[in-house]
Amino acid sequence: MIREQPISFNTVPMKERLTIQRQSMPEQDPNIRNGNFLEVNLGLTPAQAVLEAQRCIECKKPTCMDGCPVNIKIPDFIQLICNQDFIGAAQKIKEDNSLPAICGRVCPQESQCEEVCVMGRRFEPVAIGRLERFVADYAMNNSNGAADSFQKPEPSSQKVAIVGSGPAGLAVASDLAKEGHAVTIFEALHEFGGVLVYGIPEFRLPKAILRKEVATLEAVGVKFVKNFIVGRTMTIQELMHEEGFDAVFLGLGAGLPRFMNIPGENLNGVYSANEFLTRSNLMRGYDFPEWDTPLYRAKHAIIVGGGNTAMDAVRTAKRLGAEEASIVYRRSEEEMPARNEEIHHAKEEGVKFMNLVNPIEFIGDDQGSVVAARCLRMELGEPDESGRRRPVPMQDSEFIMDVDMVVIAVGNGSNPLISQTTPEIETNKWGNIVADEDGRTSMEGVFAGGDIVSGGATVILAMGAGRKAAIAMNQYLKAKVGSFA
Amino acid sequence: MNLKEQFNSMEMDDILLMCIHQEQQAIELYTLAKNQAKNENSRQKFQELIEMETVHKVALQNFEIEHYIDLPPADLKVTDYLMEPVLSGNMTTQEIIILAAKREDKTAKMYQDLADHFATEKELNTFFQMMADEELRHKHNLETEYENEFLQEG
Repeated sequence: MIREQPISFNTVPMKERLTIQRQSMPEQDPNIRNGNFLEVNLGLTPAQAVLEAQRCIECKKPTCMDGCPVNIKIPDFIQLICNQDFIGAAQKIKEDNSLPAICGRVCPQESQCEEVCVMGRRFEPVAIGRLERFVADYAMNNSNGAADSFQKPEPSSQKVAIVGSGPAGLAVASDLAKEGHAVTIFEALHEFGGVLVYGIPEFRLPKAILRKEVATLEAVGVKFVKNFIVGRTMTIQELMHEEGFDAVFLGLGAGLPRFMNIPGENLNGVYSANEFLTRSNLMRGYDFPEWDTPLYRAKHAIIVGGGNTAMDAVRTAKRLGAEEASIVYRRSEEEMPARNEEIHHAKEEGVKFMNLVNPIEFIGDDQGSVVAARCLRMELGEPDESGRRRPVPMQDSEFIMDVDMVVIAVGNGSNPLISQTTPEIETNKWGNIVADEDGRTSMEGVFAGGDIVSGGATVILAMGAGRKAAIAMNQYLKAKVGSFA
Repeated sequence: MNLKEQFNSMEMDDILLMCIHQEQQAIELYTLAKNQAKNENSRQKFQELIEMETVHKVALQNFEIEHYIDLPPADLKVTDYLMEPVLSGNMTTQEIIILAAKREDKTAKMYQDLADHFATEKELNTFFQMMADEELRHKHNLETEYENEFLQEG
């Protein structure tokens, strides 16, 4: 199908567009922000947003859309920004993405839409992520709900349970509520948002934004139930057979921390990234004693890993007052899976990077608290299947360094609760739920998507999986009604 | 009788039989673990290991030394510094892979020692070197799997 070109509102001649510089986003000073938990990026101004939008050269074949896992109509919303119709632009994004204020902040645009932006071949790509964030924030603050309004459908009389209120679950809830189904989200924690609330720090994603997105879903009729552990409080079978839910979506995420299995990981002061970040983000340990959860304030914290979770943890440790907060990563910076922006911000904030180093033991004192880490220096060997060069230990390179806190951020696995309580649902050897492309699991009426299926991935990929599952669930629910009729 | 004398007094077929026996023991150990495993995923992982050792055993049964040309794989040493888990019915896939990789490593070292010991006996040296490389290859495959799944560093 040939896509209709959006109406152009860009009055800047094509040649001049190429001379406009990519707009930098204002941000807090690094030496100030490394002592507070306020958001680092401050967002584009309206004038900057229009100027950035005017950089778009309106490609006939907009590759940016292919780079987006939920195929946001990027050229269309950019043209609306050129026309200063910011609320219209937000509405356009919301046709495909119900959480633009979140995705505008945490999506790795540089490896998705912006990576394939045609401008990027010779110049810097259009800052699509910054524009998405700008219009989402603008609409949130100025539209009084108009950006989220939609024609309320006839109620379908069918009930859908969504397990987990992370990005996949929220995406499914939004799409199925628009179809008229009665949607209830069950959340195990006492706040909604899943990894968005317990995993991502306030300085990257303010919780107030998330609460507004949840409130928007509540306003369209989605029911939220917290402190409810599916598999403990009630099983999936009970939800379906006793509570009358016609379909269930499992979006539990990958919240089971993984450890390295080296000696000393059970010492005091050694945390999983999951625990450390949950204490800080969800339980607001950084505000102790105003909030109840204590969080150890280290002198020298090391964070083992090189992904976004590691960056979040090390920047949190720095903000908690660590004199030295270091990333310990067994490969080189080139192989780090973290976003460049996060690495750049961490460095600006004074985080130290110890690359090509791997801990092999944590050493404790007589109180059982960690006081040192025994490490090896690594060198890069042949590339692995992912193309990253493999680190191998250097001979006679062992050394010991003093540390009083360690955070392990080497990845997460899936929570085994569902597979333990619902054997009808097939899981793979890693414990992830087996689902087809549309999210169908081996149990009738039960769908799944996001990290619980794919393993740890990005927010937008989880949302994409949720949206695909929502289409399949809607078809399933309609067919179910049809078969009764 | 020392080790060298012991092996020198054996025919090549006897040495092969000894190695086949070693592989059979591994198959039996993994079968026992599989039967004790309390979840399906662990049973599947042990089944994979049984199949891997069975392939090895069959290769030994059909062994012809002149066909040995493979180069040894790189030793990634990913699991060398990890704690060895205790075999139980509650093992996670992560623990099973560590256990198996450590077993392969120990066996590879044993064959390597034998190859070094018989440095001047061409047939025995080649045979034990091949066995060491084969075990190291298994370890390499297990560690690659471990790296891909458990060291995502996200």
